[in-house]
Amino acid sequence: MAMRQTPLTCSGHTRPVVDLAFSGITPYGYFLISACKDGKPMLRQGDTGDWIGTFLGHKGAVWGATLNKEATKAATAAADFTAKVWDAVTGDEVLTLAHKHIVKSVNFTEDSNCLLTGGNDKVLRIYDLGKPEAEPQEIAGHTSAIKKALWCNNDQQILSAAEDKTIRLWDKNTKEAVKTLSFDASVSSMEYIPDGEILVITYGRTIAFYSAHSLDLIKAVDAPASIHSASLHPEKDFFVAGGDDFKLYKYDYTTKEEMESYKGHFGPIHCVRFSPDGELYASGSEDGTLRLWQTAVGKTYGLWKCVLPEELSSENSEALYCPPAEIKA
Amino acid sequence: MRSSMKTPVSVLRLPRGPDPNSRGFDPNSPRFIALCPTTVPSSSSSGSADEGEQRLRAELRERFLRTLLLMTGKRVRFDMHEHVRVHARFGASDIDVLNLQVSDLETPLGVQREALLRCQDVIACSFEA
Repeated sequence: MAMRQTPLTCSGHTRPVVDLAFSGITPYGYFLISACKDGKPMLRQGDTGDWIGTFLGHKGAVWGATLNKEATKAATAAADFTAKVWDAVTGDEVLTLAHKHIVKSVNFTEDSNCLLTGGNDKVLRIYDLGKPEAEPQEIAGHTSAIKKALWCNNDQQILSAAEDKTIRLWDKNTKEAVKTLSFDASVSSMEYIPDGEILVITYGRTIAFYSAHSLDLIKAVDAPASIHSASLHPEKDFFVAGGDDFKLYKYDYTTKEEMESYKGHFGPIHCVRFSPDGELYASGSEDGTLRLWQTAVGKTYGLWKCVLPEELSSENSEALYCPPAEIKA
Repeated sequence: MRSSMKTPVSVLRLPRGPDPNSRGFDPNSPRFIALCPTTVPSSSSSGSADEGEQRLRAELRERFLRTLLLMTGKRVRFDMHEHVRVHARFGASDIDVLNLQVSDLETPLGVQREALLRCQDVIACSFEA
């Protein structure tokens, strides 16, 4: 029996949600951090969307947020010209890294020992979190603001996307650009999938998949509207994308066919990511909310409950909340 | 008009939102208890040293807060960076002691009726109790 997707709305932010990231799977489940223009990034339980805490301290819009694999540390990038590292268990601020301009992106290495930052001053910086007072290593080259910077290829290389319409692959040790990809439009988002070394890039209406090693194009798909972010499922059977038309699109990765589209957000979608187990994906929007969407609609997972028709009308259904059927004009 | 024929997926409840009164990170959550070292350890020599230090810290903090209370309404001299020394009537501090609200701040440019002094700029303050 076909079921209709019920997205779970996570409220709490008061301004647009511009970035989100999942942790890896920990003994306590997995977690989600959201970056918001209200300056107050939030940590949530990944499978339910339940709020755990808010990281207080930034004095400007937070443009980027990330968690380490174990969800013990968080890092945020903000318009107050700082990147901050936080204890993700206590919520305490651990480190403030001063920059010379708005910081847009933060990323931990696999071992959480180094933090990569990038922002409007066009310079990539690598901080050794064991020696926070030491000057960061710097990699210059981009000619405009950096939007996203990620570790890749076993943390030996760095991928950065900037407003100069290029994506560059850098060697961490030589600090040289190994490869550069140029586009006609500014890249709106970038996701790196270590397992399979795939890079997911969005620009204009296109969602493109590249090899993270060679930066060769694997495939590209055009969506009906301008796309701001896309994410590939861990098993690489689907990918999801969202953008200007407020909808979330789900595509078959192998055939590139559009499978489904979902309405729900009241504003453009800025970020979308699959959870580490692939069971759900989260989207952040201009409307200030995060929404969680099921990959397999109707499956019992997190707060979603698979209900057989008989159960809906029985006494046992009191604990269930069934959203009213919508009538679409 | 098109009505949806499919049944929407049921949910057990909606995701919990933020607590308006706190920043969260519940210290009673299993994760917190497991991953954070307790601040009151069971009896051990290093444990008592930590306890002693904590007590001293608490005393110093209390003294500082009482000083702030005592300073309220008084004329205070603020010694600041770059050899700046100003007098003003102290009003209050904000919760994180980042800013001090003062009145009738005497500056080389004249008396400022109301002002905020940035704490990180203040080296010392002195007043007559």
